[in-house]
Amino acid sequence: MSVASADPRAVQPRAEASARRAGTPRPLLWEALVVGLFAIVVLTMPFWIIWINGYQVLANHIVIWAMFALGFDILLGLTGYLSFGHAAFFGVAAYVAGLSFKLVSSDIIPAMIITGIALTIVGLFIGYLTLKRSGIYFSILTLAFGEMIHALVKSSALQQWTGGDNGLTDIPNRTLLGIRLEEDLVFILSAIILIVGFAAARQIKRSPFGLMLRAIKENPMRLEYTGVNVWRYKMAAYLISAMYAGMAGFLIVVLEGYVASEYLYWTTSGEVVIMSVIGGVGTLIGPMMGAFFLLYFENVVQAEIGEQWLLVLGLVFMFMVIFVPGGFADLIRKTWRGIDKRVRPRRHNVPDMEPNADRLAGEPRTGSV
Amino acid sequence: MNVIFTQLLAGLQVGAIYALIALGLTLIFGTLGVVNFAHGALYIIGSYIAVLLLTGLGLNFWLVLILTALLLFGIGIVLERGLMRFFYNRPHTDQILVTFGLAIVVQEALRWRFGANPLQYPIPSWAGRPTFFYGAGATPPEGSLAIPMPFLTGFVPYPTFRLTLILVAVLTVLALFALLRFTKFGLTVRAGMRDPEMLRFLGVNITQKFSIVFGIGALIAGVAGVFGGPIVTVSPDVGMALLVPSFLVVVIGGMGSMIGALVAAVLIGMASSFSVLAQNYTSDIAALIGADSGIVQTLFAALQQIVIYLVAVIVLLVRPRGLFGKKGVFE
Repeated sequence: MSVASADPRAVQPRAEASARRAGTPRPLLWEALVVGLFAIVVLTMPFWIIWINGYQVLANHIVIWAMFALGFDILLGLTGYLSFGHAAFFGVAAYVAGLSFKLVSSDIIPAMIITGIALTIVGLFIGYLTLKRSGIYFSILTLAFGEMIHALVKSSALQQWTGGDNGLTDIPNRTLLGIRLEEDLVFILSAIILIVGFAAARQIKRSPFGLMLRAIKENPMRLEYTGVNVWRYKMAAYLISAMYAGMAGFLIVVLEGYVASEYLYWTTSGEVVIMSVIGGVGTLIGPMMGAFFLLYFENVVQAEIGEQWLLVLGLVFMFMVIFVPGGFADLIRKTWRGIDKRVRPRRHNVPDMEPNADRLAGEPRTGSV
Repeated sequence: MNVIFTQLLAGLQVGAIYALIALGLTLIFGTLGVVNFAHGALYIIGSYIAVLLLTGLGLNFWLVLILTALLLFGIGIVLERGLMRFFYNRPHTDQILVTFGLAIVVQEALRWRFGANPLQYPIPSWAGRPTFFYGAGATPPEGSLAIPMPFLTGFVPYPTFRLTLILVAVLTVLALFALLRFTKFGLTVRAGMRDPEMLRFLGVNITQKFSIVFGIGALIAGVAGVFGGPIVTVSPDVGMALLVPSFLVVVIGGMGSMIGALVAAVLIGMASSFSVLAQNYTSDIAALIGADSGIVQTLFAALQQIVIYLVAVIVLLVRPRGLFGKKGVFE
């Protein structure tokens, strides 16, 4: 890349060539194997979670939050933008879906369409204001505008529709084409959506589009100089991750039948950040493991250690940030590499920490950075 | 006139707390390049220490203020030496994440130790009574603090404690500016903000200076905590609740600009206090534009709750770098 940067004209065709390379699908069989394995793990969760002291609804929540974390990784892991305001999308989707069930129809299909439209509007609005800036600014601004939506929804002006502090209650039973959606049906629905979402996210990651996102993370300015409209790619990534978050918010209302005002609060954004970081940013599977860990911790381990689970979680989070910035996924990969020496060393996927991390690990740098 | 004067004071008071928190944030950001998500936690630690010293040991208020400030200075230095130092060479996202984690840990530790309910903050007796501002011809009540303000009619009472906050905030800001402008230490720090690399080449121990800077940031947050305690309440989640508007102040003012943070803090304070005032005149405004007064009222009520965000939106649309932001600062 350093050679290419000396001659700007050489960058464009080369980027296109590597984009094509990244775009060529891996063997379909392999892809099917990975997604299939994932599907089996997810679909059987209600059974195996009981062996480890879990319960059915916990599996429901894990699948929904995994969806949230998965979409978050497209923004943080691929594009390198740390949003502290994703609760806005989770919460807005929840509120819009709840209102749609109450006012329009109890069927989830019209609700899904309305939620999608609302999310696009909110996503474009916040994205327009925040994506102008990157890095620290972006994190601060997303946090602020997330809080703005929280304040607005709870404000006295909108209270008659949103229920203020109490949230949205009295939502009628949700149906799909006349069938009432019970807990286990919701699980199957959310599991299928998560599996499709996972397959889609894998495609996005390997597509030329995904390569562009990773290029934004590496060096947006250089990408801009090659004539790429960085802004459009950023916005697209932002909207895609907003859609994942919104889908999670939508599913949580289908499951729970009420909307808590906390869904919009910064703690929700914080939780998805914690999940992603603990799990392993940029690996797609990592944040979902993080979602599993956090919810399992919140619901099962809490019974053991009591009220202080949040304090312990905060300490675990800090420990991970300080000592294992690659998260669980990185931990697993390193262990695996220790067992199987033939595995080719891979570069980190944590935002802008590539070169040093690998050098510190005592490995030769790979690639042509 | 009287109403405007009261709102002016209220705006200054809100701005004073934001300014104290935001100044520390900006100072730390400008010198160390670290966005401290745990700054709200430092503020609330200040509040808790003040309550403990006031109720537990029954100390004099001013002594408590000094002790809390010194303690926070120490905490800041320990934090910089023990934690932040290892993050200077790591990406900004990691710095945000570790301070965010710290904020959670502090919040939950306080909740665990002192419970989720607000603590009672004993306001010192001298600040219990209001201060009277009185206009020409009016005589203030006997034995109370009174300040003449010729343009007022009659009296305007204002809580003495809040008035003290405004005064202390002004003094703190002046002291900070004097420290940075007129001392050798300040010169080194300002140079370090410009070009830390060059300063190291010149043989200046910049890391040591920077940990003092972090301590000063924490100290100012502690002062804000002592005064903010009775005004904002003392409960674990206040730290994060105040952090968001303080961030907005920093962003509106322009990252790393101290003057900007000050101006933005006053701007935000005024915006929130005068939008409260506007609510009293909703019926007049409705009559003026010929709209239904109920709609205008709900609109203004909503506006009042998000006015600080709206100010931020407008400023960022007009000046994306903030009011005093410089080109090339962390972009």
